Amino acid sequence: MISLSDVTYHYPRSDSPALSNLSLEIPAGQFCAVIGANGSGKSTLCSALAGFVPHFYRGKLTGSVEVAGIDTAGSSLAELAGTVGLVFANPFNQITGARFTVREEVAFGLENLGVPLAEMEPRIDEVLAFVRLTDLADQSPYALSGGQQQRLAIASVLVMRPKILVLDEPTSQLDPIGSKEVFAVLRDLAATDEATVVLAEQKLEWVATFADRVLVLHKGKLVADGPPAEVLSSLTLTKYGLEPTRYTQAARAAQAAGWRTDETTLPVTLEQAVEFFR
Amino acid sequence: MSATYGLYVSKQTAIHRLHPLTKLTYVLTCLLIAWIVPGVWAPYIVLLVGIVPVALMAQVFPNVVQNTIKTTIPFAISLFIVQGLFWTGGTIIQQLGPFSLKEEGLLFAIRGTGRIIIAVSGFLLLSYATRSDELMLALSQKGLPSRISYVILSTLQIIPRFQHKANTILDAQRSRGLETEGSFLIRTRALLPLVFPLLLGSIVDIEERAIALEVRAFGRSGPKTSLLVLHDTNRQRLFRRLLILVSLGVIALRIYLWLAPRFAA
Amino acid sequence: MKLSIEDIAFTYPGGVEALRGVSINIRSGEAVAIVGENGAGKTTLVKHINGLLKPARGRVVVGDWDTREHGVARMAARVGFVFQNPDDQIVERTVGDEVAFGPRQLGQSAPMALANATAALEMVELAAESGTHPYDLTAPQRKLVTLASVLAMHTPIVIFDEPTMGQDAHGVALIGNIIESLKADRRTVIIITHDIDFCAAHFERVIAMADGCVLADGPATRVLARADLLATTNVEPPQLVRLAQAIGLPAFPLTVEGFVTALLEHHSKDK
Repeated sequence: MISLSDVTYHYPRSDSPALSNLSLEIPAGQFCAVIGANGSGKSTLCSALAGFVPHFYRGKLTGSVEVAGIDTAGSSLAELAGTVGLVFANPFNQITGARFTVREEVAFGLENLGVPLAEMEPRIDEVLAFVRLTDLADQSPYALSGGQQQRLAIASVLVMRPKILVLDEPTSQLDPIGSKEVFAVLRDLAATDEATVVLAEQKLEWVATFADRVLVLHKGKLVADGPPAEVLSSLTLTKYGLEPTRYTQAARAAQAAGWRTDETTLPVTLEQAVEFFR
Repeated sequence: MSATYGLYVSKQTAIHRLHPLTKLTYVLTCLLIAWIVPGVWAPYIVLLVGIVPVALMAQVFPNVVQNTIKTTIPFAISLFIVQGLFWTGGTIIQQLGPFSLKEEGLLFAIRGTGRIIIAVSGFLLLSYATRSDELMLALSQKGLPSRISYVILSTLQIIPRFQHKANTILDAQRSRGLETEGSFLIRTRALLPLVFPLLLGSIVDIEERAIALEVRAFGRSGPKTSLLVLHDTNRQRLFRRLLILVSLGVIALRIYLWLAPRFAA
Repeated sequence: MKLSIEDIAFTYPGGVEALRGVSINIRSGEAVAIVGENGAGKTTLVKHINGLLKPARGRVVVGDWDTREHGVARMAARVGFVFQNPDDQIVERTVGDEVAFGPRQLGQSAPMALANATAALEMVELAAESGTHPYDLTAPQRKLVTLASVLAMHTPIVIFDEPTMGQDAHGVALIGNIIESLKADRRTVIIITHDIDFCAAHFERVIAMADGCVLADGPATRVLARADLLATTNVEPPQLVRLAQAIGLPAFPLTVEGFVTALLEHHSKDK
C-alpha cells in the first residue's frame, strides 16, 4: 500500500536531510506507528506520505514515494486528496472555518469531491457515529473541546474513505481525556483493517497498545522496525532520544536488582507488566 | 453552544425562508434607488417603504435600528459639522459665532446621512435574515469562485478568534513586565510588540489551515456538490427579474436626468 | 516568597463560574503541581497569582502585595508566568532579544539583562541560537525559549502552564532539570500539567482541581495514589502507581527506584 524507496529529502535552504535514504514497505491494513525524538523526521515522513513534501514545502526529494499505487512526486495534491488523509496536532487549525456545524464540516471534503447529496448523508452519519460525535452534529465546530475537535478532524478525513490515513501526533495538544477519546477512535480504526494507518506519536504506552508495527526514526534514518513489544523494550531506545515506558524501566531495574520471572521479554504495557511482576 | 452564523438571527419568518439571492437583490435595489434617485429625502423614503417593513416582517427591527444608529452616528455628526458649517458659498440660515450654517451644506449632510443609513441598515437586514453560508452558496452557484466565498466565510468566523488571541498576547507581555496601563503613549507603545506575534502566529496558522484544506480536496477542480440545499421558487425568480428591471429603469432615469440638460443646452 | 490565596471566587463575563472558593497557602520554595481536567479552573487560578485576573471575592497576597492593589506589570517582578502556547508570548526578532525582553521590562541594565538571558538560554540548551529568529526554531524549541525568557527574570515565584507539552524525552528531562534547579535555589515553582508521570517525578505537593474547587491538596504520594478521586477530574494516576496497585503492592511509588524497593520488600516479606 505504501512503498518508499531510497527517499532522501531536504527542506528548502537546509543542508542536512530531514529524511535520509529511507526505504520501507507498509502492506494494506497495517497499523504502523512512527516514533522518534523531535526533529527525527516523523512529521516530514507524514508530510511525504500525503504529498505535502515536496508539493507544499518544496525542497528537494530524491527516491520515490508510492501510496496506493500513485507516485506522489508525479501527481498533484488535488489528486492525492481523498486517497491519503492527513490529521495533525493542532485541532483548531484543521477546522475549515467556512462551515457552521459539525455535520457541514464533515461534508466539506465530500462537497469538493463532488459526491452527490443522497450519498453524502449516510456517509456522514456513519462516520460521525464511528468517532462518537453524532450527538454534537448540529453544534458549531468551535464549541467542541480539543478532543472532540480532533475526532471531528479524523471524521472529516475518514468520510472521504482514504486508502491511507496518516496521523501526525494527533494527541500532543490534548488533555488526557481528549487523548483517550482520540485513542479510542484509533483503536477502533486499528480493528477495522479498512485503511492503512500511519501514526507518528510520542506516547509510547499508547503505541504499545495497538500498533502492529513500530518504526523508529533518528536523524531522518530508519533505525529500528518491528513489533511493538520488541522495539519498545529494546535497550537502544534511549540512544534515539526516546524514553521507554515506566513499565519497561521498572522491569529492567527490577531484573538488575535480582527479580526473576518466566517472561522472556520486557513489558511495554500495563497488562504485560502485571504478567511480568506476577 | 449551538452553531452561530455571523450576525444571523435565527427566526422562523417568511423573510428568513426566502432564497438568499432574492434578499440580496432586494437590498441592492433599495441601495441603488437611495443613492442615485435625486432628492434630499429619497433615501428616507426608501428606508420607510423598503427597509422598515421587511425588517419588521423578519422580526429583526430592533436589532437593525439599534446597530444602524450605533454605526451611523459618528458619520452623521462629522458630515453635519463639515458640510453644514464649512460649505463654501451658499445661503446662510443661521450665524453661530464665527461659523455660519449654510442651507446647501445642511441638505447635503441630510442626504449623505440618509445614504449611509440605507447602506448600513440594508446590510444589517440582509445579515440578520440570511445565513452567510447560504448566501455564499447561492453566489457560488452563480459563478463566484469557491476561494473567494471561502475567504469571506472563514474571515467571519476567525475575527473573534483573532481578538481573543490579541488579548492573550497582551496578557503574556504584561506578565513579563510590559506596562500597558497609563497614558495614551504608554498604551500605544504597549501594542507595538503585539503586531509581530499576531502576524507570525497567523502565518503558522494559515499554513496549517492551507494543508488541512488541501487534504479535504479543496484544490480539486471539477464540479462540487453541497450538503446545503437552497429552496428557490418561480415567483422569487420572477421577483428578482423585476427588481433588476427596476434597477435598470432607475439607472436609465438617472442618465436621462444627467444628459437632458446638456442636450437642451 | 510566601503566597496566600484566600477563599477566592471568580466568574467570567460570559457567566462561567471558574472558581468557587479556593484557598491555598504556598510556602517559599515549595514545588506545587496543579492537575485536573480542562475547565477545572487551573489556568484561571494561576492567572490570579500574577494579577492577570482579580478575584471577585477573597484575595491573593504575594509576599506582602495584594494583587488587587498592583498592576500586572509590577507583579511581574515577583511572579514569572510561562504561557501554554509559545506563539502567544514571543515578540522579539531574535532568541536573545526575546529572552532579554522580560529583564529589560523589569528595569535591568542592558548588560545585566544580556547576562541573565545568556544564562537562561544555557539552561534550555539554546545558547547557540541566541541570534536566530524565534520562528526559525521548531515549536518545542520555541516553548523552551519562552521558559528561558521567564527564568531570566529571576522572579521568586515561577509559574509554568503545561511546560512539557510537545516535548520529547530529552526536552522533558531538560525541563525536569530546570525545575530541580529552581527548587535548589529555593524559588517557588507552580506548574499546571496533564503529564502525571512528570508531576510524580518532580513535585512533592499536588493539588487536584475539579469544577472550580480544590479536590485534593497534599503530598504527591497521597494525592496521586487516589485513583477514584483523580478519576472524577479525568486524571489517571502515574504508570508506576497503577502498576503497583494492579499487582497489589501496599505502596505508591513515584519513581522507578521506589517501585523496585517496594516490590522487593513486599516479596521478601511474602517468603
